[in-house]
Amino acid sequence: MGRWRDRDYWDYYEPSIPRRVEGGIKTRSERGEIGETWWSKRWIKVLESFSMGTRLTRGRSYARQGQVVSIDVEPGIVKAKVQGSQPRPYNVKIRLEPLTDEDWDKVTEAMASQAIFAAKLLAGEMPQNIEEAFASVDISLFPTALSELHTDCSCPDWANPCKHIAAVYYLLAERFDEDPFLIFKLRGRTKEQIIAVLREKRAATSPMGDISSSADAVSAEEENLLSLEEHLDTFWRADESLESFTVNLSAPTIDKAVLKRLGNAPFTVGNTNIVSLLAKAYDKVDAAVSQKMAEGA
Amino acid sequence: MIVIHAIWDHLQSGELHLWAESSSPMGSTAQRHGKQTERQHPFTLPYESLKEAMSELAGSLLVKSASPSTISLLLPSTARGPLSSPELIFEKEPADLNATGLRPWKIVTLALDPDSALDFLLALPNYAPHGTAFGSSLHFWTEAARFAFELIVRQSYMPALEETRQGGVSIYRAAWQAVLVGEDAERVSLLLKAMPPVCWAFLPESEMKPSMLQNVLLSFLNRTLDAFVRESLSSASLIPARPGRSTRSQKVSLPEQWLQALSSEDPVLVAPPAELQRFSATLQGWLDQIRPVETDAAFRTCFRLDAPGEDNGKSSDWRISYQLQANDDRSLLVPAEMVWKERSDTLTFLKRKFENPQERLLADLGKATRLFPTIEESLKTARPVGLKLSTEQAYTFLRESAPLLEQSGFGVLVPPWWQKPSARLGAKLKVKSQADSETSSGLLGLRNLVDYDWTIAIGDTELSTEEFENLVSLKVPLIQVRGQWVELRPEEVEAAIAFFQKKHGNGHMSLGDALRIGLGQEASELGLPVIDIEGDGWIRELLDRLTGNTKIDPIKTPSNFHGKLRPYQLKGVSWLAFLKQFGFGACLADDMGLGKTIELISLLLHDRDKPQNASKIGPALLICPMSIVGNWHKELQRFSPSLNVMVHHGHERLSGEAFEQEAIRHDIVITTYSLALRDKEHLSHLEWEYVVVDEAQNIKNDAAKQTQAIKKLNARHKIALTGTPVENRLSELWSIMEFLNPGYLGSGTDFRKNFAIPIERYRDSNRAESLKRLVQPFVLRRLKTDKTIIADLPDKMEMKVFCNLTQEQASLYEAVVQEMLAKIEESEGIERKGLVLSTLLKLKQVCNHPTQFVADGSALPGRSGKLARLEEMLEEALEEGDKALIFTQFAEMGTLLRQHLQETLGREVFFLHGGTPKKQRDIMVQRFQEDRRGAPLFILSLKAGGVGLNLTAANHVFHFDRWWNPAVENQATDRAFRIGQKKNVQVHKFVCIGTLEERIDQMIERKKELAESIVGSGENWLTEMSTAQLKELFALSREAVGE
Repeated sequence: MGRWRDRDYWDYYEPSIPRRVEGGIKTRSERGEIGETWWSKRWIKVLESFSMGTRLTRGRSYARQGQVVSIDVEPGIVKAKVQGSQPRPYNVKIRLEPLTDEDWDKVTEAMASQAIFAAKLLAGEMPQNIEEAFASVDISLFPTALSELHTDCSCPDWANPCKHIAAVYYLLAERFDEDPFLIFKLRGRTKEQIIAVLREKRAATSPMGDISSSADAVSAEEENLLSLEEHLDTFWRADESLESFTVNLSAPTIDKAVLKRLGNAPFTVGNTNIVSLLAKAYDKVDAAVSQKMAEGA
Repeated sequence: MIVIHAIWDHLQSGELHLWAESSSPMGSTAQRHGKQTERQHPFTLPYESLKEAMSELAGSLLVKSASPSTISLLLPSTARGPLSSPELIFEKEPADLNATGLRPWKIVTLALDPDSALDFLLALPNYAPHGTAFGSSLHFWTEAARFAFELIVRQSYMPALEETRQGGVSIYRAAWQAVLVGEDAERVSLLLKAMPPVCWAFLPESEMKPSMLQNVLLSFLNRTLDAFVRESLSSASLIPARPGRSTRSQKVSLPEQWLQALSSEDPVLVAPPAELQRFSATLQGWLDQIRPVETDAAFRTCFRLDAPGEDNGKSSDWRISYQLQANDDRSLLVPAEMVWKERSDTLTFLKRKFENPQERLLADLGKATRLFPTIEESLKTARPVGLKLSTEQAYTFLRESAPLLEQSGFGVLVPPWWQKPSARLGAKLKVKSQADSETSSGLLGLRNLVDYDWTIAIGDTELSTEEFENLVSLKVPLIQVRGQWVELRPEEVEAAIAFFQKKHGNGHMSLGDALRIGLGQEASELGLPVIDIEGDGWIRELLDRLTGNTKIDPIKTPSNFHGKLRPYQLKGVSWLAFLKQFGFGACLADDMGLGKTIELISLLLHDRDKPQNASKIGPALLICPMSIVGNWHKELQRFSPSLNVMVHHGHERLSGEAFEQEAIRHDIVITTYSLALRDKEHLSHLEWEYVVVDEAQNIKNDAAKQTQAIKKLNARHKIALTGTPVENRLSELWSIMEFLNPGYLGSGTDFRKNFAIPIERYRDSNRAESLKRLVQPFVLRRLKTDKTIIADLPDKMEMKVFCNLTQEQASLYEAVVQEMLAKIEESEGIERKGLVLSTLLKLKQVCNHPTQFVADGSALPGRSGKLARLEEMLEEALEEGDKALIFTQFAEMGTLLRQHLQETLGREVFFLHGGTPKKQRDIMVQRFQEDRRGAPLFILSLKAGGVGLNLTAANHVFHFDRWWNPAVENQATDRAFRIGQKKNVQVHKFVCIGTLEERIDQMIERKKELAESIVGSGENWLTEMSTAQLKELFALSREAVGE
């Protein structure tokens, strides 16, 4: 029945109601745009440039309703399961042509010419102008044409991309928000691989080992137990230094320095980045502080 | 009495447990509760009494949310039970002073949630009220609470998501956490080091680990901070209102849930586990950016800003250069150029190794771009070494980015002139004397009007309107004025423009206001910082001396002064004379024993040294507690016999015109505080040359009638003498300053708001600093521990303390003399000797205290001049952190003193007498010597404690009654004055005026050499005196009574 109905005229108006999914993957955004960061927006833009019509909107509502059961990102390929109106979820595959080794070499060469790329990658951020590095050697990081995307869905819809693919595509955008380096993975390299290559290109000498973070180096040592018995003489005594402990109740030199150091969050609520919403909290607390300090005066 | 303790238990629910030990245990002791291993603590307050005590302390509202609870603590114990904390004073000395081990005790507590805990601790008074003491744990958590509050004020907190696992399921809670970087991290370590062990005695022994102690403290900071922030947000939503959004149909997204959970009572986020986990990971990734760049690494990236021309004069731009900085030697800097040249993964510079320097520099630069986006431009080359900045960019860097970079753990080197007050735009107050008031002998006072003028200045450079406009027209935030870089804050530039437009800025104000603005550096009404106060003519001289820039001209020792002034005393007199000259009230607050009395006496004599003055000077009125009237009188007689002294007290004192006429004929009139009120009519008819209040803490209560009466007295000059550290008791300081220089510190309400509360409750060091600057010109306080003072002082100072008898003592004294003289007259031989000695004994008892003589156990307060004086002096000594020995030859007096002093002073007092077992004696001596917070007072009977003991922790020795045998007294004094003593020792010998005590003292003083041989054998020589001589010796003279 489903097979037939999927093909008929009603297809345009989505007659069949997809089966509800318990614990499906939903987009965080409930309305408006999906994707917070420039690179996830960049990703969506590619999808939206494909003139998919209503399948796009339906794909988006699939993504919002949680019809996507699972997503796995592997080098060069994304595999997902999407629940449609049929009992068994459809299998969706999105393949992005990995760059050739030669292309990667060109790209990393371009990246090595500017410190910003290594700096940002080492700091855990996606360099804003990463596409420039790709463009300078005539390679595109994001797919530009449908031909670069190989999509496949087990649903009976004749159109490709179908709404199931679109749903996965949207969810991927949010995955990119969380981990911008997924796009590299899809193109065939991990962030670490890129950093390692950049390091090699900087120093023509033999490649270095991984930087071991000193935090990792500290093993979880067994702590020695303290003996309260040894403190019998000083049991009730605070160290003299306590008397020299003073506080300074002046307002901070920089207002909301913590938020400024955090920068924009990878989340918005109602189109406002939560960092702006949190700013309100600091103002409220400041007001409460002034009130408290005036008390009893 | 009770001692209050506090335990923060982070293991259960994050609560502050308050509990109290009581010196009078209630209910049955040591009940067995179930397990034998954990028994009820025998002397803690039950819940209801505890709650009542806490309400009295911090207000009932604060403990409303309290709930009864119990905790188990491992306490130092003996086989008999838990030992008390050292703050707890029992009426009887506890027999066991050393613990044999730790045992768990169950304790009833009052538990406060984090919000109430913070409120409670911040509301605690600085000093425990009478009958209460604060245990070290309460003291500790109070400091921690102040720290938490400071973090809130400074916005050093961040939102977070905490994951806890319960039964295999992760629970995610939104929470606010303290951001502890740099100096704050060091302060956490400092607190951790100071934490008294009792604070972690609640932990199971398996949990007693260093990291757990840190958790206890961090949990307190985080939880109280979280509670305060949450409470502040309870009335507001962080989530923007969204029209047309129905709350029912749509589920709340996790970011939105998180915001809600940060501002409401329920912190828990609800969503499918996988979603929560992904949200948490992403959020954490974002929040982790607040973590400072690895501080435990060997080196870090450092940004160095150079102004144009500062960089060896080569560059005409502002320039930031990137460098690597060694973390353990901040002066070791490696320029980026060298980093890029290194081709191996280790850079060696000045024998130091830097691992992976390029990677480190790159990673840091990557992180820094978020805080200072301008950097990004420079990163478009392969080997960035720095960047050039415009003046505006440099300013943004200095104002905004540099502090953010520093907080994030980067090194920042800015030019030395930055943030120096001399490099700021500010207002300068210029004060000129008014033409008609410029008289050399002018008696001015703070109310005197002076002309003033404001000018705009940069550092020392004053700016004309034109110069200023030229600068502003440059429209840059950093400018160079005469080769000096200066910050022009937009808001201050605006204030300065308004200043010139209004043309306001001159007029007249009182000298007091001018000083307050100039010294307090109050933000002026101009909206500009006050950078300086400048005067001309005598005002300049005055300002220079008030602020200590110029030394006050020293005076000579007055010609009629009988004695020698030590150098610092001469300085003190000069200072008093200087302030007098300008009509300012002065507070001399030197430590006890430094000689405030003779400094004042010298001042009076100094006034009379100028021949033209001598006849014109009116009498001074000295107001002091009754207990030292006699002492003043004696000291005046001794050091300045040329001054006519009138003592105004007793039933036969003069009143009305008779009083006035008599007073005018004298140089100084001594009276008491209570008479200052009772006789205010008579006293206010005269214009006093001085009104001097000694023990000025007696006017600390401004609302008291006594204080008001004294403030209304008609005085040309005012002086306050006090030995207590006024700077620690702000209401007292205010009241004394209000007496000396009315209006100078503002109204009582303003003072409380601006200084007392911020300083006392919140320990605000900025306000304290500002208040100190304001008060400093009018308060002279020298400590006996000051290096310059120590050099002037002898190692041992012996002083007589002259006390009066009370009326009751006098009557008893007379009765004893009458009765005994009659008996002595009728006896002879051995019997007579015995009678003489017993008369001596009885009279000494009466001089000590009526209760000792009658031995009826009646109440002590208000009945003995000696005891009143002892109390006052001990209070001062304790304030100064000193320890004291008190010798008496009567065991029963020792017992009375111990009880009474413990009660009135609230400190533990030891008493060693003939019946003290050796073991206990050793424990007391050890604790007195070694325990900084242990008993500060040690009473010793002359016989038991006169020899052998080493009590060098004491630097005061009081001889409450006298043996009249210098050798014996010296031997006793030497308990403190011996090898190992690091301070100057003050010996106070008590003498009752007008009694046999004074007369024998005089006899000994008169023939000191003789005395050694005569009196060497005790008091027997007195028995050899004739009845007539005895009559003279015993007679009570009129001046004896002090009421």
